[in-house]
Amino acid sequence: MSVQDDLETVNWDVSEDAHITVDNEQCVTCEDKPCLHLCPAECFDYQEDQEGGIYFAYEPCVECGACMVFCANDPDKGAVSWSKAEGGKGVEFDFG
Amino acid sequence: MTDASFDVVVVGAGRAGVAAAYKLADEEFDVALVERAKQPGMKNVTGGVLYGSILDDLVPEFPEEAPLERHVVEHNIKLLHGDAEVSIGYRDLELREEPNYTLMLGKFDRWFVDRAVEQGVTFLPETGVKDVTQEADRAVVHTDRENGDIACDAVIGADGVNTTVGRKTGIQRTMRNEDMALSVKKVIDVGREEIDRRFNLDSDEGAAYIYTGFPEGAPTIGYFIYTFEEYISVGAVGGLETLRWLGSEGYGDTGTPLYSLLERFMELDTVRPYVRGDAVEEYQGILVPEHSYDSLPGRYDRRVALVGDAAGLVLNKGYTFRGLDYGIKSGLVAAEAAVECEADADWDSFGQRYDDRLEDSYVLQDMKQHRHLPRFLENERMYGAYPGIATETLRSMYSANTDASGLTWRQAYRAFRRSDAGFLDLLRDGYRGLRSL
Repeated sequence: MSVQDDLETVNWDVSEDAHITVDNEQCVTCEDKPCLHLCPAECFDYQEDQEGGIYFAYEPCVECGACMVFCANDPDKGAVSWSKAEGGKGVEFDFG
Repeated sequence: MTDASFDVVVVGAGRAGVAAAYKLADEEFDVALVERAKQPGMKNVTGGVLYGSILDDLVPEFPEEAPLERHVVEHNIKLLHGDAEVSIGYRDLELREEPNYTLMLGKFDRWFVDRAVEQGVTFLPETGVKDVTQEADRAVVHTDRENGDIACDAVIGADGVNTTVGRKTGIQRTMRNEDMALSVKKVIDVGREEIDRRFNLDSDEGAAYIYTGFPEGAPTIGYFIYTFEEYISVGAVGGLETLRWLGSEGYGDTGTPLYSLLERFMELDTVRPYVRGDAVEEYQGILVPEHSYDSLPGRYDRRVALVGDAAGLVLNKGYTFRGLDYGIKSGLVAAEAAVECEADADWDSFGQRYDDRLEDSYVLQDMKQHRHLPRFLENERMYGAYPGIATETLRSMYSANTDASGLTWRQAYRAFRRSDAGFLDLLRDGYRGLRSL
């Protein structure tokens, strides 16, 4: 199993507007890139042709908030701009 | 100009927010319950047992009426070490006298909101909160609905660990890796009879399992299994800072380190028989606040009170997680503070009154008594050396193949000498453990 298989079980009503954005300029100086390890939905992908090596997709976000803590709130990082998905949009859990 | 007004606006329809709104409606307040999801529970995730006596006064009939999963009569702590597992199991039919249940929030939160609406609460789903402002004689909740500003006397922020209310008002300080644990969880379809058989339960009885010690010596990493009616949930939890360095050492071979650890945990020989299932029904991720009493973030301002996860009111006791009942209690306390403010016609002291009452409640008393526990649980010997000593000692007692000889205490002493723990460590950790637990 990979996390991608388990993400198949999750539903979203995807918004047209991204609730989280990444300023790739900040990724250039980020050496350890914790986003690649810590996001539980693998929204961050390492792609060499991207600025700073990070490709970000908000669509599969499970709205845990980890990237706000490990990136947005870190004064040495700060590539992530974080907000909650707008009302009625985003992840929809059945079980909780 | 605002577009609507209520006495109190509660932001977030988890258990804490619904309890607050329910109680306020019961006291004849005009209360709005604002929720971002389309339906209650859709954004909510838990990995805990509801210690339900907290609902006895508010909804005495809840054990009969609420959609509960299983009545928890058994708790297990399991220390993993290599191929071995040392466990402490506690099963007690007297626990049947207590209303402690496993929950699926999708069902439970919907029921709870329905009951609150019957009580007179105005429920506003699909409504995100963008900001909260406090003016001279009122507060305003700014939502993402058209004409969506709501004026009120006071705001109760029950919007979870990533609280918008707390961040926008500046009540909550900026959270860092040390403040938070990450948890991922799978809900697996096992089937009612198979759960009964596998976990040795009667049809409405439930069990909870907590695991530590894998990978050996990695502090703050733990796992849990809970039994639901027809499903089980299996999850992993770990401090963000531990996970960050595990990840930077290239630990994540099948995805994020935590997801990868959960997969490997589920493949352990001692675990696999419990977690086999037909299909994964859902995968979830959530942050869990990990504050000690001394490092709790702010939880109030003039007309704003934060409750539940938004105020960091969660305690990992090592043998169980408390949070669901703390959330409900803090919501009830916020409602009581509002009743007092209304009676005195003094809403500017709402936040302060809430905090004073919370300080006296069992929630903060509990967290205060366990103030040393979070630090104690960061000790890597708890996750490596000590499970190892326990395993080797038991192996010398039960294995016929062991070449060791001598009395058990002597074997335990040898296992201790072989471990990384020194004698002073043992004394110090023993003392800290007694003081923490």
